[in-house]
Amino acid sequence: MKTPESSPIPDPKRFEVSRATLWFDRFMGWAICFGGIGVILAVFGIFYFIGKEVVPLFRSADVAPAGEVAQGANPAVLGVDEWGEMPFFYDGADKVVFVEVKSGQRRELVVPGLAGLEVTAFAYDTVHRRVAIGLADGRVGSFLVSYERNYTEDGNAPLEPSLVAEPWFQLENGEGPVTAISYGDSGGARVIAAKRGSGEADTVSILRLGMKKGLIGAGKLSLLGQTEISADLPAETTMLRSSQNGAMVLIACANGEVVYFMADAGGVSKRQSFRPFDGKPLRQMNFLFGGVSVVMTGADGSQEQWSLFRPEGEGERLFGETKKFDSLGEGAVLFAASQRNRTFLTGAGRELSIRHSTSGAVRWKGQADIVPVTALLDAKGAHFLIAAANGEVRRYSVHDHHPEAGWKAFFGKVWYEGGSKPVYQWQSTGGTDDFEPKLSLIPLIFGSLKGTAYALIFSIPVALLAAVFSAAYLSPDVKRVVKPTMEIMSSLPSVVLGFLAGLWLAPILEMRVPSVLMLVITLPLTALLAGYLWCRLPIGIRNRFSGGSEWLLVLPMLVLAGYAAWNFGPVLESWIFIYKDPATGKEVADFRLWWPQATGTSYEQRNSLVLGFMMGFAVIPVIFTIAEDALSNVPKNLTAAASALGANRWQVVWTVMLPVASSGIFSALMIGFGRAVGETMIMVMATGNTPLTEWNIFSGMRTLSANIAVELPEAPVGSTHYRTLFLGAVVLFAMTFVMNTIAEVLRQRLRERNKLV
Amino acid sequence: MSSELSKPSRSFATTGRSRKGEPLVWLTAAGLTLGVAMALGLFLLILIKGGASFWPRKIDVMEVTRNGGSEIIAGYVTQEKERKDPDGTFHKEIQVFRGNRDLSPEAFVYIDEKDIQSVSNPESLLLVERLEYGPAIVEPVALEADGKRIEASSGEFRSVLKAQLDSAKKIRADLLEIERKKIGKISRELEALGRAERSGSVPATEAAARRAELQKDFEKLQAQAAVIREKLAGSQFFGRSADGREVTFPIGNLLGVFASNEANFFERVGEMLHRMTSFLTEDPREANTEGGVFPAIFGTVTMTLVMSLFVTPFGVIAAIYLREYAKQGMLVKIVRISVNNLAGVPSIVFGVFGLAFFVYFVGGGIDQWLFADKLPTPTYGTPGILWASLTLSLLTLPVVIVATEEALSAVPRGVREAALACGASKWQAIQRVVLPASLPGILTGVILAMARGAGEVAPLMLVGVVKLAPSLPIDDIAPFVHPERKFMHLGFHIYDLGFQSPDAEAAKPVVYATALLLIVVVVALNLAAIIIRNRLKKRFAVSSF
Repeated sequence: MKTPESSPIPDPKRFEVSRATLWFDRFMGWAICFGGIGVILAVFGIFYFIGKEVVPLFRSADVAPAGEVAQGANPAVLGVDEWGEMPFFYDGADKVVFVEVKSGQRRELVVPGLAGLEVTAFAYDTVHRRVAIGLADGRVGSFLVSYERNYTEDGNAPLEPSLVAEPWFQLENGEGPVTAISYGDSGGARVIAAKRGSGEADTVSILRLGMKKGLIGAGKLSLLGQTEISADLPAETTMLRSSQNGAMVLIACANGEVVYFMADAGGVSKRQSFRPFDGKPLRQMNFLFGGVSVVMTGADGSQEQWSLFRPEGEGERLFGETKKFDSLGEGAVLFAASQRNRTFLTGAGRELSIRHSTSGAVRWKGQADIVPVTALLDAKGAHFLIAAANGEVRRYSVHDHHPEAGWKAFFGKVWYEGGSKPVYQWQSTGGTDDFEPKLSLIPLIFGSLKGTAYALIFSIPVALLAAVFSAAYLSPDVKRVVKPTMEIMSSLPSVVLGFLAGLWLAPILEMRVPSVLMLVITLPLTALLAGYLWCRLPIGIRNRFSGGSEWLLVLPMLVLAGYAAWNFGPVLESWIFIYKDPATGKEVADFRLWWPQATGTSYEQRNSLVLGFMMGFAVIPVIFTIAEDALSNVPKNLTAAASALGANRWQVVWTVMLPVASSGIFSALMIGFGRAVGETMIMVMATGNTPLTEWNIFSGMRTLSANIAVELPEAPVGSTHYRTLFLGAVVLFAMTFVMNTIAEVLRQRLRERNKLV
Repeated sequence: MSSELSKPSRSFATTGRSRKGEPLVWLTAAGLTLGVAMALGLFLLILIKGGASFWPRKIDVMEVTRNGGSEIIAGYVTQEKERKDPDGTFHKEIQVFRGNRDLSPEAFVYIDEKDIQSVSNPESLLLVERLEYGPAIVEPVALEADGKRIEASSGEFRSVLKAQLDSAKKIRADLLEIERKKIGKISRELEALGRAERSGSVPATEAAARRAELQKDFEKLQAQAAVIREKLAGSQFFGRSADGREVTFPIGNLLGVFASNEANFFERVGEMLHRMTSFLTEDPREANTEGGVFPAIFGTVTMTLVMSLFVTPFGVIAAIYLREYAKQGMLVKIVRISVNNLAGVPSIVFGVFGLAFFVYFVGGGIDQWLFADKLPTPTYGTPGILWASLTLSLLTLPVVIVATEEALSAVPRGVREAALACGASKWQAIQRVVLPASLPGILTGVILAMARGAGEVAPLMLVGVVKLAPSLPIDDIAPFVHPERKFMHLGFHIYDLGFQSPDAEAAKPVVYATALLLIVVVVALNLAAIIIRNRLKKRFAVSSF
């Protein structure tokens, strides 16, 4: 077919788009896709980067061989510098052997003043690097090993060991050579426990030493007194252990009994005697870092931790069993305590394991290729050394950044040192170096839930009632003002709410609890009564007010009732809440005193009541807005049909609107929950921040969010504390995420259902 | 409920004969009343308390029996409250601010109303604002200026005092110029010199020579400052406290005087305005409990603006992607759920993320790259205003995304199709038609995001806010903009003063004033957003067909 020539062929160029436009269009398309996906990726980046900080908490220890030394010395005492580079050996002679791990170079140093003396007992204290020695003539003393790093021009920094001898003290009691010794040193107070002789005829003495402060210099070490304690021991002494605080001595006897002595300014006294393994003899007994706990290993290999605590109802701190560890196998029991936390290296035969006392967890387990007779953890906890009887030494590097972490530590009940039972407790930092961190998240999660619960108890009724009235009865003109007012309320900075709660409301409510109680009862009753009376008014009067103005009509009545209730509070207090002073028998009408007496719980100024009310400002608008939307979006034909069938205005709401909007209302509650759980500033400022686990309305709490805000700025980056706070954030995130997702899914379903209707 | 349908039912709504459930309707009404009353009550409370903190009150001189003896206390009443004794009787107690912290350690005294014997308001009493020890309440005795002594009874006393105060103000400004700016410049150069020397870019001899030069300059400036300080110490103010103790203040330490009991209403209003301006424009003094909050205002505004600079493009692009580009399927549904979800994530979690990602990951990386010579002192690897803005922009991202999406979907389909039919490409249609039509909606989202960001405190505590920042994030020292600096924030100011301050009572007026300021900012932003949104609704109601 031929096209007639007259008809104009459209110029094909007319349909062409300039290339630049096309390019630009494509470019913008890419850019927007890239940007959009980027934003979404950023959102998921939050999961990733918070998770990344948390993951290392759950890693176990990494141990790798890091050098070996072989030399002939007997490793009776094995010690090392704080970098784990130059171990030393001592076997009771007058020389100390040092061996450098890297080069294998060997050096010997003579212990000053020990020439010609016969050493019959020695013991090593890793913290002070002190070797305590006992002599055949009944003298006891010690020498200290110290290292100094000399920085040289060529960049090397060789270690220079040296030995310093301390004075001798003569044991006054007993006969024969010193056969066992132990030395406890806290800096000021020191104690030496020494045994002379052997078998049933042994004598054990405890020496108390003190530093006499001189005007110039470090002062002089002098003997404060010595006490013979053999009479208090039931059988032959097998082990002596002195604690780091220079006051406690534990003595294990052949009959399996352990006796605990305390040395203080007044002398030495026996405090307790206990049988850890039902009288079976002990294989090993050692103090852990901090000197409050002892790890004991029984004849059958079972290992237990005994700690000092004040049993309920007792006045004195005594040792009690707090933990059981996995059993050890056959062979000599190794033990080395860390000098920075409650980790210890233990093992029997070739089996080695690194354990942590707080959680009772085994951090690492492995086999050694020699049969070690002694083991040592260096001061930084970065290396451990084991030595065989022939002087072979293996050095291992340890990477265990978060030994105190773990599921049990975070979510389980843990028996902490000094406590009388296993508890959930959060106390992340303490005043001293030997503080045991208590990292249970349970009190914080409980605090978050408690705060949320009290916030919701108050907010849900108010918000839902307001939403129903606004959606069903309020005239649209008024609604246009009321809804934004509530919305602005939701954007009130929570720091202002928290400040008002803590500094304005808490002092007012502190004395007016009975008034608050009256308000809670009076206000709803007033509203109900007003409604009851209203519909009994003549219809002529009622007709003057249009529907939807009830909320203004009820206002003066509420104000009057509130005023009356507020002032009636003290009267109520004088009737019911009477506190009787147990000392004088005087009766006082004071709720603040009455509550602790009547319920046995505490009363604090910054409590859940204040918090619940103030959280209302943050939570009510959230719930109100969403619930109001859900109720307003109920299809009109449904409500109109109900009205047409004769339902009155309450019946329309109760039988039609509420059921139809129920999932929307539920989603509003979920989102309200999310908002309350994550609220930080109000929680920080109005709750007192004590990690409690009780539901008492008149006490405070410490929530996850407040805990992060208060502690994270001070936590060292990368520390266990820092990562645990991140774990808290993950828990918080997970809680709100679950709630919000449920809410969002419900809301979408509701939207679709309403579309169908 | 839309008006057309609810209107007919309203005509018999209240007057219906059915009484069933009517009390419950009234209960719901009470719920709404309570909600609205709470919202308005809180605004009112802050307004009154915040406003009252500026109002100059009358100074009462009270004769009080305390601790067995009689005492004269001059001051103004700051609080009246009830206290309950252990035996159950209520006491009316007033809290009086008497100032003069240099004379008696506690500036606030609590007096039982029963113990007050007599009250008078002598007109001669002056409220003196000082640089140290807070305000003083004294009776003026004399003035010593330029070697002359002028008695308070003489007529020229007030005018000379005023002139002296003005000149002291000028001298203090000169001193600040020398001490902070010029000496600061020298110390900065010294620091840079040290770094350059360590890195080897400047030879040691050259550095030493320059250092000597700078040292000379420094000494010269110090001598100048000493001369000026001499000038300040020259004149004195003599006064007598209400209980008869003589006091002497160097005029250089005085900021202003106000004869509170003599002033009439208009003078009071003037003083109130004066106090408001100095609150808004001055730096804080005395551990933040006195003076103004200018650095906090500046920090809040800068942080919020930078935040909106980040959040607007990203939020809008994400929303355009979701609404116009992405295929509407399961993926988009999930993404939308997670964006809505993000809006519900606790703000402190964003702070935690900001600390881990922006501060330590990104900031630490920048330090390794660009500021390696300053390490281990971190430059960007520490909380700062840039990281705070970025963290908050992530926090407010969902607000912008949701608002923009809503605005985009409100643009009628017809408009879009018309543009495409006229031959516009997809981007052209979006750029020329869709975006302009949805601009008010986007603006609403951005303003709401700003309001949310301005009021948020918890995440900032982790990523850059401090109680006292020595310098602003933008100043006249090159490179003028310092995104790595820490900053002050109104919200944190409230927290810090109310809960971390050593003297919480003295800080209360400042806290209430700051709270008022913050609420005014947030509410104003919200109102703006609501007004724009309402306009938008009307506009589309007309343009849809």
